[in-house]
Amino acid sequence: MVKYFIRRVLQTIPVLLIISFIIFSLVFVAGDPVALMLPEDASFEDVENLREALGLDRPFLVQYGSYVVNLLQGDFGESFRFNQSALPIVLDRLPATIELAVAAMLVAIVISIPLGIWSATKRNSSLDLLATGGAVIGKAMPNFWLGIMLILLFSVTLGWFPVSGRGTMLHLVLPAITLGTGIAAEMTRLIRSSMIDILNQDYVRTAKSKGIHDFFVVYKHAFRNSLIPVVTITALQTSTVVGGALITETVFSWPGLGQLLIQAVNTRDMAVVQACVFVIAILVILMNLFADLLYRLLDPRIKYN
Amino acid sequence: MKKANKFLGSIVVLFALLLAACSSDSDTGTTTDSSEETEASGGTLTIALGTDIVGFDIHNHNNTSTEAVHDNMFNYLFKKDSNQEIQPELAESYEQIDDLTLEVKLVEGVKFHNGDDFTAEDVKFTLERVAKDDTLREYPNYNQIKEVQVVDEHTVRIITHSPEPSLLPRLSRLGSGMLPKNYIEENGWDYFLSNPIGTGPYQFEEWVTDDRIVFTPFEDYYLGKVEEWDEVVFRIIPENSTRVSELLTGGVDIAVNVPPADWERVDSGDSTSMVRETSNRNILLVLRSTEGYPTSDVRVRQAMNLAIDNAAITENVLQGAGIPTQTMVAPGNFGANEELYDSYVYDLEKAKELMAEAGYEDGFEMTLHSPRGRYLQDVEVTEMIAGMLSQIGITVNIEFMEWSNFVEMRAAKENKDAYLLGLGNSMFDGAYSVDWYRAERFAGETDYKNDRIEELLAASAQNMDSAEREQQIQEIQEIAAEDLPFIMLHQETINHGVSDRINFVPTMDEMLYAPSITKK
Repeated sequence: MVKYFIRRVLQTIPVLLIISFIIFSLVFVAGDPVALMLPEDASFEDVENLREALGLDRPFLVQYGSYVVNLLQGDFGESFRFNQSALPIVLDRLPATIELAVAAMLVAIVISIPLGIWSATKRNSSLDLLATGGAVIGKAMPNFWLGIMLILLFSVTLGWFPVSGRGTMLHLVLPAITLGTGIAAEMTRLIRSSMIDILNQDYVRTAKSKGIHDFFVVYKHAFRNSLIPVVTITALQTSTVVGGALITETVFSWPGLGQLLIQAVNTRDMAVVQACVFVIAILVILMNLFADLLYRLLDPRIKYN
Repeated sequence: MKKANKFLGSIVVLFALLLAACSSDSDTGTTTDSSEETEASGGTLTIALGTDIVGFDIHNHNNTSTEAVHDNMFNYLFKKDSNQEIQPELAESYEQIDDLTLEVKLVEGVKFHNGDDFTAEDVKFTLERVAKDDTLREYPNYNQIKEVQVVDEHTVRIITHSPEPSLLPRLSRLGSGMLPKNYIEENGWDYFLSNPIGTGPYQFEEWVTDDRIVFTPFEDYYLGKVEEWDEVVFRIIPENSTRVSELLTGGVDIAVNVPPADWERVDSGDSTSMVRETSNRNILLVLRSTEGYPTSDVRVRQAMNLAIDNAAITENVLQGAGIPTQTMVAPGNFGANEELYDSYVYDLEKAKELMAEAGYEDGFEMTLHSPRGRYLQDVEVTEMIAGMLSQIGITVNIEFMEWSNFVEMRAAKENKDAYLLGLGNSMFDGAYSVDWYRAERFAGETDYKNDRIEELLAASAQNMDSAEREQQIQEIQEIAAEDLPFIMLHQETINHGVSDRINFVPTMDEMLYAPSITKK
């Protein structure tokens, strides 16, 4: 297992290099940051001078090469927007995003587990239809729309929660629901299908035939085993959570990685875009690794080779 | 399985702990709900911005919304009043000694937020930094300054390379906030950036990027401590709809740049309303005068100008948030030609005659480039223009572009017949607007050249006779209104949502100066 772990960690190095190349190329192709730094009345000489001063007039490969050399020394470059090193800016935002992600996962778990079990045990009933239909709607609703609707209802009309910003637990409620709803929808469907599989297994039938109460059959025998795929797939949802956070954080002015990344893309702040994507990539890789290890712990029959 | 159960249990506990840790961290941290804070202290002014400031290097940005925040903690030597007239601020008096030298006596008793005295050495340090470091973004606006001589502790002489009629406008704007020389030299530039100080009415408390900037009143402000607000908070809320919702729920007192779709929502709010002021940005069509293009014929340009109903655009598309204009120099700028402002020409019959005279009875096909999302309702404005031009037989192919591609197109001079552009003038000096008619500046891009305009531009560039220079700038505008290198459309307005609990009058320079905002 240790060998497996080391091998997986080493595999991340080429992955990160490839990611760095793709992102660098995309940002390069997307346009020149100097165009956005100077106002309309700047002369072309001003534009050229600034481009030269920032080293943006060099060929692509030279710029990428110098970027990778700096990267190996832990230097992600300087943010054009903030005139500071990019990495500390990104790491500063990490706690806010983790807070939101964890809260969203809790919302998802709280909604999906009872709903998933319920619709599996009452399969094809009107309750099941309601739960699965709700899951489809939950998955289909765009985050930005849901966020704005929640603000209009719970903040502007009812005044129960603050509109935006980060601070108290109350600030966390609406963004967490916005981000958690889509994940809850996916998990509900997963728990439902996993439960249906398990409920049809022989040992469940045996338990039932022994006269064990339905509650214990469902929760003690079926639910625990149905959780194995659910837990691992939940861990793999990190990329979905981060993707959703980009929008959710912008709608709620939540000062996390997502908002930073959107602003950095808008202003072509290449160093911050790179650092953000790197940190997110590392997070996703770590969560994938965590999911693999978790799977092994939950189901000892699985062996690594 | 038991092992797995324990593991699952521990994950749930871990999640809960992590959440608790994050939450408690933020509870004890810096951010709190502004509405609660407002009620508790009774003295917090909260302003919602759409974008964050770029930092506290006053010389290395070109961003009006950043300057609007800095304005509260830095002072200039000169400052524009609410009528955009330049008045001395940290300058006690000034005298133009010769064409190259401006002597300024400084106000005595001014202190920086750390208690240091403001002296002539600080002026020299500030202005020479931006005038000599060509990597700074404000360098092009200050490199006219050759040096700053310290005459005594409270007197400086600002020497320019050549006669510089726009020196005062330069010294009363972005990049001219006075920096503390000793503080920066002792602590280093990086320390200053995270612990900035100035001489202004408010001092820096904290900046949480993309979240908030907090200022408190400076006790020893040279004009006396500002008592109106105990705290000024600038919150960063990029999403328009969220910014408006914060205003409607009392979370913020001012929401800047409210989009037209939300104006009614704000005006119909219980305690909110929209306030407007003209901005210093004009929207215009830049036309190709290059031989071979139909727009190289002045009659075609005039016909296009006559076919565009500027008032229909400002009233219908902009819902009143624009003023029709025929000049690039609006009132409030030096050299404004007021006769050409708040006016337009519209005459379809005459436009058709001119098209026929120019040999285009059957019209022609042209391309109109336009940025998307850069200016107020830019897409709708462009589409409406295309519709208006079709009435005189011109088929307009609209090409909407992402902003950086648009800039690259202009840099490569690949623009076709026309493009839509918005032009600001942070100097508030008409000379910078009319300089857009200079042939050399547009060689290959529009190829427009007018000999009389060239003469007037050359004559006004270093003319230290203010009255004569003003006339020269005004004459250029008159010629341009006839010869039409550009078709002027309208001047945009600034549109802010404001809580009824405060008095706030926006200014043309778009500053958000807290001492001028009061409680009702």
